[in-house]
Amino acid sequence: MKERIIGGYDNFVIPFMIGIIFLLTYLLIGLIRILKHIPGEDRKKLLFSFVNPKILAKDIRDIIRDCLLHVKIFKRNILLGYMHASIAFGWFMLIVIGHIEVALFVPQRNGSLYYPVFYRFFVSEQNYTLKGAFFFFLMDFFLLVVLSGVGLAMYKRIRSIALGMRRTTKPCFADRVALYCLWSIFPLRLLAEGFTAGISGGSFLTKPVNMLFANFFGNDLNIYPTWWAYSIALGLFFLAMPFSRYMHIPTEVLLIVMRNAGLKVTRPRKGFAEAEIYSCSSCGICLDACPMNVQKKNLKYSSVYFIRFLRRHNTRKINEIADKCLMCGKCVALCPVGVESCNIKMAQRGTVTEKLPYDYSYLEKIESPVMASQEKVLYFAGCMTHLEPAIIKSMKRIFEAAGENYYFADSDGGLCCGRPLMLAGKKEAARELIRKNTELFLASGCKTIVLSCPICLRVFRDEYKLPGIRLLHHTQYINALIKNGRISVSKDETSYVYHDPCELGRGCRIYNEPRNVVMALGELKHAAKERKESICCGGSVGSLTLNFEDRAKITQESLRTLTVESPDKIVTACPLCLKTFSDQSKATPVCDIAQAVAEKMV
Amino acid sequence: MNKNVMVIGGGPCGLEASAQLHKMGYNVILIEKEKQLGGHLAKWDRLFPEGIPAREVLDTLIERINGVKCFTETEVVSINLLDKEYNVILSNGITVLSKAVLMTSGFDLFPAEKKEEYGYGIYDRVITNADLENYFKSKNDARIAENPKRIGFVHCVGSRDEKAGNRHCSKVCCATAVKQACEIKALFPDAEVFCFYMDLRMFGRGYEDMYLKAQRDYGIRFIRGRVSEVSETIDRQVIVKAEDTLSGKPLKVTLDLLVLMAGMQNSQAGIRVGNKIGMKRSEDGFFTTKGSILSLQECDKAGIFYAGACTGPKTLPETLNEARAAAISVHNYFYDTEN
Repeated sequence: MKERIIGGYDNFVIPFMIGIIFLLTYLLIGLIRILKHIPGEDRKKLLFSFVNPKILAKDIRDIIRDCLLHVKIFKRNILLGYMHASIAFGWFMLIVIGHIEVALFVPQRNGSLYYPVFYRFFVSEQNYTLKGAFFFFLMDFFLLVVLSGVGLAMYKRIRSIALGMRRTTKPCFADRVALYCLWSIFPLRLLAEGFTAGISGGSFLTKPVNMLFANFFGNDLNIYPTWWAYSIALGLFFLAMPFSRYMHIPTEVLLIVMRNAGLKVTRPRKGFAEAEIYSCSSCGICLDACPMNVQKKNLKYSSVYFIRFLRRHNTRKINEIADKCLMCGKCVALCPVGVESCNIKMAQRGTVTEKLPYDYSYLEKIESPVMASQEKVLYFAGCMTHLEPAIIKSMKRIFEAAGENYYFADSDGGLCCGRPLMLAGKKEAARELIRKNTELFLASGCKTIVLSCPICLRVFRDEYKLPGIRLLHHTQYINALIKNGRISVSKDETSYVYHDPCELGRGCRIYNEPRNVVMALGELKHAAKERKESICCGGSVGSLTLNFEDRAKITQESLRTLTVESPDKIVTACPLCLKTFSDQSKATPVCDIAQAVAEKMV
Repeated sequence: MNKNVMVIGGGPCGLEASAQLHKMGYNVILIEKEKQLGGHLAKWDRLFPEGIPAREVLDTLIERINGVKCFTETEVVSINLLDKEYNVILSNGITVLSKAVLMTSGFDLFPAEKKEEYGYGIYDRVITNADLENYFKSKNDARIAENPKRIGFVHCVGSRDEKAGNRHCSKVCCATAVKQACEIKALFPDAEVFCFYMDLRMFGRGYEDMYLKAQRDYGIRFIRGRVSEVSETIDRQVIVKAEDTLSGKPLKVTLDLLVLMAGMQNSQAGIRVGNKIGMKRSEDGFFTTKGSILSLQECDKAGIFYAGACTGPKTLPETLNEARAAAISVHNYFYDTEN
């Protein structure tokens, strides 16, 4: 391998150089901006994460899994996963091997930005060396991998369902420019390297291309135009990248590092949120996930468009979507990048400055409950459960049957858990309630709190600090009672389907205990969408503005997915889901898991 | 010439319309899904504002339909348009060819158990307005204690409540609640009676007087504020939580009896008939009339007519007036299509 062009430079590298220098400058400025906007405490956390080997190892693992191999997308759809992995990993390998080639064969060009990219233009083959052929083979192999991915990407534009996506996003102008550049980069590279393969050498892909074209054209006049075209395509792609969805490629690395360092969204547009926003690949998986998609007109409220408007600083639209969202968290659960759009929306809601006259002076007058010494379990039904008294009645029966000495903390109404205020972006107000509730629970001396409402459970787990107190949802508690034989239930032919409430499933990751309970009662049937794919009941307190008609459509869709196997009963574990479903389920009765258990206790 | 008119629903509206059409010389076929005629009127004790016994009114209405072909325990199996006549097949096997079909299918009471936070069907001491009327008639209901000390009425149960699926006002419950509150106070003079209301809509002649009398003569306490939730004490009394929005204070009362004023929604049986031939319904669930002022009795399908509560909540006098209006509309339709 020896250098063919003296000086190692040719004018055609200019478009590429303009593109890459622009991109690198843009990224550097972006990085500085983000670091400037995160709170000082977070900056310390970030710095600490680089010296903590555990976090560092997790960073590297996550980057390989998510940025290069796209394991999450593979799990969703193999073809879609292959498409992403082939382009990302293939391209990455082309860059790495390109640099190895330069380092090995033309070490004087080390450090040049363009040389590894246009390596085959600048070198000529002296004679067949095994070393050179090995790298040529690798380069051709990874080029083929990338080309296969690009081919799939083109096919996806025509028929997205073949890759497991019913809906895809509408690309904006910069997206289109970048997309068409991306599509043309690798075919052009194949052509350029093919034309030069006679001089520089090549392998199983580029050599045949070279021979084929030699037969057609018989001269080398096509070398320059194709290398120019390849360079222009690359340059344009880099120029368009900051304004397009492909910004997720570099940003995702930063997001992973920041997330693993334990950073949280505090502001909706700046700092960590900015890293989240630019990490969105606009893939549109959240379009299929969003419960709003039952009505085409409401697709515009999906997270992908929320983030697009955030990038464009369109405040009116940002607020509209932030307020409309049900906060069911399904888009977050399915997002291949893990963009926590719900947190950004909550932060956005917090920016709306409506000065409500909060007066929490009454909290000080509330005295903490005194539990009798034999009472170990504190039952907190929550305000939503008080609107579904059948659940409370059933829980009382279950406690009695199990011989539990329990204290019903909010029998006469309790304080709000704070979650609805959190969801509305009123963090400060929520803190007041959380502080008082924490004080009451700690003073009560309880060891276990059993909750009936997953909305409460979520905020208890995430925001309350209750050392030494076990938090159980009643599904977990009942499951343990059945397992330990403290209550016994009769099993019969009745078939049930279990609806995963958002806050219990995706929010607290409780999926198995309720199912175990249901299986103790009868046959458990499957829903079309379940566990983390479960569809919101439509009654969520998360949305501030969604109207009843639109909610009803979501409820109907959720009920449809639940009843595909025609179960006798729908069981849920959230009073709000119960309320929403029982109003609208015509054919199949709906009940809470506690009611189903109380009915069948022996 | 076939002068058949099919009337669907044997409540007060169907009875009055049938009587009028029969007098005009039409051959009326009246069907009713229940065993007895009269609809909700047959289950009611007395009527506001003056407290006239419902039985008297119903007896008069039934007397008037002498000569009308009347099938009880009969429903519509199928209905379709053949040329210019409707072919209606009934569940008793009879087929009627009729040029005009009059829907007098009325309303269903909102199922109060759907407002689970009020505890109907869960707590022993919670009943509905219909249950109370039945108690007035029979003096027998296990849910009503021997001598209740405190009694509450909740207005707007399943009315003006989007979450319950009904945004509309049911029109008659305010006056009914005031009437029932006075009646129960008369029955249990020692009891304290509360009415929890949003607004009191005392729009009819004599209603305002009734409301004044309830306050002045019966000492009924009216509390403006929606009930938020109901719970139960160990000795089965109910605790009602509400907000008194006039004083701006939360409120908690323990009661021996809670009466829910269930509102009106379109009758399921009527909707079943309507769906067979595609009668349009508005957002509130009631049938859509051709016009909202000039053609209130007509459907946009020629030959189909409406009267009574199937096109929205109405009081009994309004319903009877609509029945007569519908009879004239049907008559005009025959006249216009024949000439």
